[in-house]
Amino acid sequence: MRPELHFRAMGTTCSLFGDGDLVDGERWVRSFAARITRFDQSSELSHLNAAAAWVDISPELEQLLRASLRAFEMSGGLVNVAVLPSMIAIGYTRPLAEGPTAARLDQAHSAPLLPNVLNVKRGKARLAPNVRIDLGGVAKGWMADRLCERLGANSLGNLGGDLFARGEWPVEIAGQTYLLRDLGVATSSTRRRRWGDMHHVIDPRTGLPAASGLEEVSVAADTATAAEVIAKTALIAGPDLAPAYCATHAQAWWLS
Amino acid sequence: MSDRRPLLLKIGATVLSLLATAASAAYVTAHVKNPSAPLQPSVLSSSVRPADVQPVTSTYAS
Repeated sequence: MRPELHFRAMGTTCSLFGDGDLVDGERWVRSFAARITRFDQSSELSHLNAAAAWVDISPELEQLLRASLRAFEMSGGLVNVAVLPSMIAIGYTRPLAEGPTAARLDQAHSAPLLPNVLNVKRGKARLAPNVRIDLGGVAKGWMADRLCERLGANSLGNLGGDLFARGEWPVEIAGQTYLLRDLGVATSSTRRRRWGDMHHVIDPRTGLPAASGLEEVSVAADTATAAEVIAKTALIAGPDLAPAYCATHAQAWWLS
Repeated sequence: MSDRRPLLLKIGATVLSLLATAASAAYVTAHVKNPSAPLQPSVLSSSVRPADVQPVTSTYAS
C-alpha cells in the first residue's frame, strides 16, 4: 500500500500517491494555485490581468504562460486562455462551489488570437488592453507534470482529473482500469461543471460553451499538459475531426 | 532543331503533369478512407494496458 494524500485545491479534488514527500507536494500545489487564481485580486495572475503593461512575473508563471502559447499553437487556436471574458459572461464569475451568477451572453465574444495579445519574455509578461486570461486546465496539467518531478520516481499526481503517472499506476479512464506507465492523462467533459445549458468548456471561436457533438474526451499523452490540450481540442473540434487529431497527437484516447 | 526545342519542352512538361495527376489519382483511389472506421479506436500504446485491478484514482474531475 503506497502512501497517498487527498485534499481540495483549485476548486477540485487533488490526490497524490508515492513514496516522495506528499505533504511538500500539497504545499506546493496550494502555494502555486494561490498565485495563479483569477478569484483573488492579489494573485500574480490577477496583477497581470489588470496591468495591460509589462509586469514582472515568476519563473513558474513564465513557464506556464509559454505552455499556454504552445497549447494555442498545438490546438490550432481551440485551447485559448484568453476566453476569460466569455467565462464571466456565462456566469462563471466565482468558484463554482459558490454557484454561478446570471449569464449575460450578449457579452460573450470570440477570443483574440493569443499570440497577438500575450507577450512573454524572460521574467516579464504583457497582456493587451482589455484582455484577461484564465489558465484553467492548462495550469492543472502543467502542475501535475511539475508535481511528479518534485515527488520523484513512482509517483502520481492527480489534480482534478489531470494527472501524470510516473512509474506504473492503475488508473480508471472512461469506466475501465488501465495501467499507465510514465504518461499523462486528462479528461475534458461537458457533463461536469455545468449549470442549466451552460458548462465551462468555451469554444474560443464563438465565446460560448462548446457544442461539437462530443461530450467527453479522455486522452493519454507524454505529459499531462499535452493530454489536457489534446483532450480539450478534440472535445471542441467534434466527432469528425477528433479521431484524426487524437491519432496524430495522443498515445491513446476515448471519445464519447 | 532549335525551333523545335521549346515545343518539345512544352510537350514534355505537359506529359509530366498528366502523369503526376494520374499517379496521384491512382494512389488516392487505392487508399480510400474507411467510412466504417471506429470512432473509438483500441488503445494504441504499450504504455497504456487494460488491467483487472483496483484503480488508485480516476481522471474524472470532481
